[in-house]
Amino acid sequence: MARAAVLGRLRRLPWRLATVRDIVAETPRARTIVLDVDGWTRHRAGQHVDVRLTAEDGYQAQRSYSIASAPEAGVPEITVERIDDGEVSPYLVDDLRPGDAFEVRGPIGGHFTWSADEGGPLLLIAGGSGLVPLMSMLRHRAARGAAVQVHVLASARSAGELLYSDELAVLGPREGLRVARTYTREGPPGWTGWSRRIDAEMIADVTPGAGARAFVCGPTSFVERANDLLVAGGHDPREIRSERFGPTGG
Amino acid sequence: MDDQHLDGNGIAGLLGEIAGADPTTVLRTCPSCRDRRPLGEHRAYRSAGVVLRCPNCADVALVVGMHDTRLVVEWHGVYDMGRSIAS
Repeated sequence: MARAAVLGRLRRLPWRLATVRDIVAETPRARTIVLDVDGWTRHRAGQHVDVRLTAEDGYQAQRSYSIASAPEAGVPEITVERIDDGEVSPYLVDDLRPGDAFEVRGPIGGHFTWSADEGGPLLLIAGGSGLVPLMSMLRHRAARGAAVQVHVLASARSAGELLYSDELAVLGPREGLRVARTYTREGPPGWTGWSRRIDAEMIADVTPGAGARAFVCGPTSFVERANDLLVAGGHDPREIRSERFGPTGG
Repeated sequence: MDDQHLDGNGIAGLLGEIAGADPTTVLRTCPSCRDRRPLGEHRAYRSAGVVLRCPNCADVALVVGMHDTRLVVEWHGVYDMGRSIAS
């Protein structure tokens, strides 16, 4: 029995066939792809999948995308932002249609994850599409009805580029949840909030008290800046978990 | 290969093929600076293969080379897998 259990645990993650169930436009450059995956095992909020596309001539391209949906949704949804000179993301954002299929491997990663059972408080800091895995955490919190204290700082270039904008405004439970936004290029009409890159003042303002665990996701330069600000602001480095995306790629 | 993620999280699928388990929570003690950090927080650099570096001192933690269909791995440091072999 013990041997079988160990072998089971050490089994490699297989590539599985994923079929596009639905596609949801999020912003002019991003959309969410709802997938049906053969043999999918429930993910944890914050995990990602590897996506592998195979061309007719056998050429393969592989990318990692964070899962946006809550574990409770039952199926993985990925939100993909188009990188104009990218190899994979223009296809996923512009050409993919419901019923199309490709391969995925996952769910992957146990470090950048959170479960409502772990409690809080949490500080979630997102740069651009770094909001995707953090959205999975927020949706998980909502699905569980957990009143865990969670403060979010979302940085986007403009209101039109902020992912999940409408949903962020109505997520529950409202108790303990605060969503702060900063727009680095331009805010919506009449915006009087933050309109600059993240800084020490913002971090101090959104920190939900001592002992908060921070999750930071975004482009590498954003994550490095956020981590430096958190540490300078007195956060325990061991309570900061981060996930980086390259400035280009896709 | 994917060039989007630039830390240990993004190459977890690849490392999983090597270690056979979730590698991002594995705690590595760096032989250079003695810092003990999860592989998910290590920095990843890609070219023909992947180099993982200590987030504290940037010393090389792991080198993965891909040679045709073979994976060749060089490990530096002590890796606490956080679990027993048979339990």
